[in-house]
Amino acid sequence: MLITDDSAPFQEAYRHLLAGTDQPDWLRSQRQAGMERFTDLGFPTRRQEAWRFTDLEQLTAQPRLPSLDGAPPLPADLLEPWRLAGKTHRLVLVNGRFEPALSTIGTLPDGVWLAPLAETVLRRPDVAAMAFGADGNAFAFLNAALFTDGAVLVLAPGTVLEMPVEIIHYSTGDTQVSAHPRLRVMLGDGARATLVETAAGDGNGWTNAVIDVTLGADAELTHVHVQGEGADAAHTSLLTAELGSRARYRTFALITGASLSRRDMQVTLSGPGAVFTLHGAYLLDGGQEATLAVRADHKVPDCRTEEVVKGVLQGAAHGVFLGTVAVRPGADGTDARQLNRNLLLSPSTRVDTKPELEIFADDVKCSHGATVGSLDEAALFYLQARGIDPVTARSMLVAAFAAEVIDAAGLEGEVEALLRRHLARWLGGEGGLG
Amino acid sequence: MVNILEVRDLRARITGGREVLKGIDLTVAPGEVHAIMGPNGAGKSTLSSVLAGKPGYEVTAGSVLYKGVDLLSMPPDERAREGVFLAFQYPVEIPGVNNMYFLRAALNAGRRQRGQPELDAQQFLKAVKEKLKLLDIGDDLLRRAVNVGFSGGEKKRNEIFQMAMLEPNLALLDETDSGLDIDALRTVSDGVNRLRDPGRAIVLVTHYQRLLDYVVPDHVHVLADGRIVASGDKHFAAELERTGYAHLCDAA
Repeated sequence: MLITDDSAPFQEAYRHLLAGTDQPDWLRSQRQAGMERFTDLGFPTRRQEAWRFTDLEQLTAQPRLPSLDGAPPLPADLLEPWRLAGKTHRLVLVNGRFEPALSTIGTLPDGVWLAPLAETVLRRPDVAAMAFGADGNAFAFLNAALFTDGAVLVLAPGTVLEMPVEIIHYSTGDTQVSAHPRLRVMLGDGARATLVETAAGDGNGWTNAVIDVTLGADAELTHVHVQGEGADAAHTSLLTAELGSRARYRTFALITGASLSRRDMQVTLSGPGAVFTLHGAYLLDGGQEATLAVRADHKVPDCRTEEVVKGVLQGAAHGVFLGTVAVRPGADGTDARQLNRNLLLSPSTRVDTKPELEIFADDVKCSHGATVGSLDEAALFYLQARGIDPVTARSMLVAAFAAEVIDAAGLEGEVEALLRRHLARWLGGEGGLG
Repeated sequence: MVNILEVRDLRARITGGREVLKGIDLTVAPGEVHAIMGPNGAGKSTLSSVLAGKPGYEVTAGSVLYKGVDLLSMPPDERAREGVFLAFQYPVEIPGVNNMYFLRAALNAGRRQRGQPELDAQQFLKAVKEKLKLLDIGDDLLRRAVNVGFSGGEKKRNEIFQMAMLEPNLALLDETDSGLDIDALRTVSDGVNRLRDPGRAIVLVTHYQRLLDYVVPDHVHVLADGRIVASGDKHFAAELERTGYAHLCDAA
């Protein structure tokens, strides 16, 4: 049997990428370590339980290597649909590179650092170094080796950032390239911020992002992730979050783009009283496949996890929800709920849903559930019996199903409006219901 | 004047199943209120379902003219826009769809069909207030999702409110009295009475005679085993109350 080495083209690309660049030693060794770990691991395969439902063929068949050139200038109106209304601290990356012309980081209050990762490496190497952890999966290691830029957001203890931070990664161009943006978010004790992290695009490249979040005691982060990559694009991202005592990490994930996508979330509740909430939706059509794999690790007592994720699938789409709540010995008083509900709009769609509990403590309250169903025929007839045509009736029911999870998230202002806008566009657009 | 409804030898079955309607004849003129009574399983709900176009039934013979036009060839949403209204026995809960949003969509769908301009939010609200006043019901149901968490009485009240807003030519009330306590029955009946109109026909399908104490029909029919086996005027209902259906069913 011929054993092919998935990593060979990436090692080659890695050497090209670093040739002639002036990297600080610490960073060079981080990249080196990442490349070695990726080479050891290779791409995950379906023989690994956590990757059983994810078809990576598209990524492995033809390697999408990082581009050595910058992207062509991007017309600002392409970003328009992805931007938050109102004032924000906006940082835009195109094909993995910071785009100053499209960014408006603006004036930052005292105690806040927000800058591209490459700039942070130069100006604040001590801060940039914290963007590299020892942990991750094969994709995250590859990202460490190959990233060109990213973003760093740090809030000193007690700092409140009123305006939302927007980090948009846009992938463009008809080239089979990859980008490896790397994001680091650290909130000191009692700090508060809102982050909208968007991965969008019109190209057919591969975005492989890493987002590491650390929240100090009593810190609060609202983190909305929107994935609206191009129809032929691929997206992988690994989010890790570590929550200190009573920290509140409130997230929303809206996944509508890419033909292949996978978001891994590894949330560690390591301070008593920490709260993690995830609301989310994957809205898929055609041959799209999307995986949301969430692991909430309760290490200490009295933490809470709440996950509500909904899927709407049509065409021949494939959605995967993998949710694990782990309760470590001694993590008494854990309160964890997981719910995954799916609406299948055509017979060729498929959903794999696997909410799991790994409980090693006694005094815990944990529940999980999953449903897969089609549109309620009785409700459809009821709407039609009032004069509403079948296409509109369907669309109303699908919109209601998906909007419920936005309602439940309890977000506010422009951030909530952004999610509703994306949902409306999906319903009226290539979602094919309009 | 053309009849609102002319049903001729209507036969229908549950799709792939047994025949439930075995030759119904019924003529309803504008302004009339007809009551269709009968024992459980006689086909009362099937009749209103078939007229409203509910999926799951198959018409095997006969014809239905609505205002002189073939009703059975229209899809259910078109029937509704043309003025056929079914008040459901079990109104459906629709989570996430706001009652007002839903009703405005329904109302404007009908207006578009009739070539009338759509109502904007303000005009719609005005119309809502007028009907609430007419029916003497509160506005507490309007802000909620369609029928979600409504009590049985609230659901039926909501049906009558929708009927008032949509102003149908033919209203089919399927067991609207079932599951109502006496106060709710009175509220709903008052609503129906206020919606009696020379241009509108109302067909009440009911198992019990008590609704007819409040909404007095012009004609009463007994449906048994898929056929109308007896008809009479408003006094017939009281007579049925005394004699029961059994002797009529045997005759069928």
